[in-house]
Amino acid sequence: MRKIETTLPALLNEIGAFYLPKEWHFLSVNGIDLGGGKIELQWIFSRYGVKDEIVIYYALSDYETAVPSIVSLIPSAIMGEREIVDMFGLKVDGAQRGLYLDPDSLPHPLRGES
Amino acid sequence: MKKTIQIPLGSQHISLLEPIRFKFECENEKIIGVDADVGFVHRGVELACTRSFEFKQVGYVVARVCGLCAITHTLSYTLAAEKLLGYEANDRIKYLRMLMVELDRIHSHMLCLAHTAENAGFEALFMQIMGDRELIMEVQEAISGNRIQFDYISIGGVNRDLTSELSALIRKNLGLLAEKIDTLIGLFDNNWSLSLRYKGVGVLSLEDAYTYNALGPLARAAGLATDVRAETSDFPYEEIGYKMILESTGDIHARNFVRLREIVNSIEICRNIIENLPVGEIQEKAKGKPNGEAVIRVEAPRGELFYLVRGSGQNMLDRVRIKTPTFSAIPAMMEVFKGSEYADAPAILASFDPCMSCTAK
Repeated sequence: MRKIETTLPALLNEIGAFYLPKEWHFLSVNGIDLGGGKIELQWIFSRYGVKDEIVIYYALSDYETAVPSIVSLIPSAIMGEREIVDMFGLKVDGAQRGLYLDPDSLPHPLRGES
Repeated sequence: MKKTIQIPLGSQHISLLEPIRFKFECENEKIIGVDADVGFVHRGVELACTRSFEFKQVGYVVARVCGLCAITHTLSYTLAAEKLLGYEANDRIKYLRMLMVELDRIHSHMLCLAHTAENAGFEALFMQIMGDRELIMEVQEAISGNRIQFDYISIGGVNRDLTSELSALIRKNLGLLAEKIDTLIGLFDNNWSLSLRYKGVGVLSLEDAYTYNALGPLARAAGLATDVRAETSDFPYEEIGYKMILESTGDIHARNFVRLREIVNSIEICRNIIENLPVGEIQEKAKGKPNGEAVIRVEAPRGELFYLVRGSGQNMLDRVRIKTPTFSAIPAMMEVFKGSEYADAPAILASFDPCMSCTAK
């Protein structure tokens, strides 16, 4: 597993330069609450036909900063982006709330203080 | 401008096993747009894994994500936890775990094939496949103690050993099933209700399979050579006869045939495991508390199941991320619907073998 640190402003450029649809399989978007209003965001890839090759791009952020969407590069990322909008209460361009949660659900269940 | 109408399918519908709602935009009979709502059975499992249960209990919690593929959920979590504990299972444990995963694949694929037959109006075949599937359900119950939601795998091993009586039962039932699968392959290939009905319907092209990150039988039916069993080294799949099954047409017929041929391969794998089961303990000590971050991929019946587990040396974990096959396949599914006839939607949906319990978790 290889972890590559990035920043939210640089995310689209970095993933755009890295991602080749016939070489890399997009696995998931993930968030990990770090406490103190901080979150680690991850974009995870595996390589087709190669054993155990996982690449994770990650960026540290707070909950107020909008997260850029990578759907223009990877259309299937929309599911993961909608999930982190629900679970962490993040703002992601073009991703609506309501994939899992109802209007009366906990607002962001995977945030540390929830 | 042509007039379009919106037709909902679900959340409760005769062709659906679990709740999902599609909103189809149709031009006459043709689907030109689709929206999906998948969150009807969200249960907060990821939250429970870090707030309500200690790491040793989590393997039994994630088995409740899905009744059908409970074994792959527990296995994925257990492998991640063992990685964080610095433990690697012995060969006997690995073989027993592979055995249960492959048995799970067989009965899950048979359930999908049964529903595909039912959607073609072939209800007698539905009943026949479901009856044949009992051969595997019987074996799984005998090995694990449960028909579904098997709590068979635990950190450091498996909870029951394979006796000579059990091995004999597995050999007998696999032998009976192998004959029945041969008949099924003939039926799915030659029977007009199944082959003509499904050839060229619900096509996912290879290009779209790459674009939408398709996975599992959905991807392999389109010719995309991806299977976690060939892309990870956690289990010695090559030495027990694993072969990647590929088709090329990407339609319902191809998806049926990927599943049928994978059943044949899984039967061979199970037989090889029984005949070459290594000697060793079935439970070993995996000491300590999880510290660090581990990612695990396992090929579940519907495709890649992904777990990310992070711990900081405590009994409670910091994060358990679960990404299920159907969740990832939704964008590809929606693409397949576009351009299809509305009347084909239930059959196309059944051929994806969606699991909403996994998806919403």
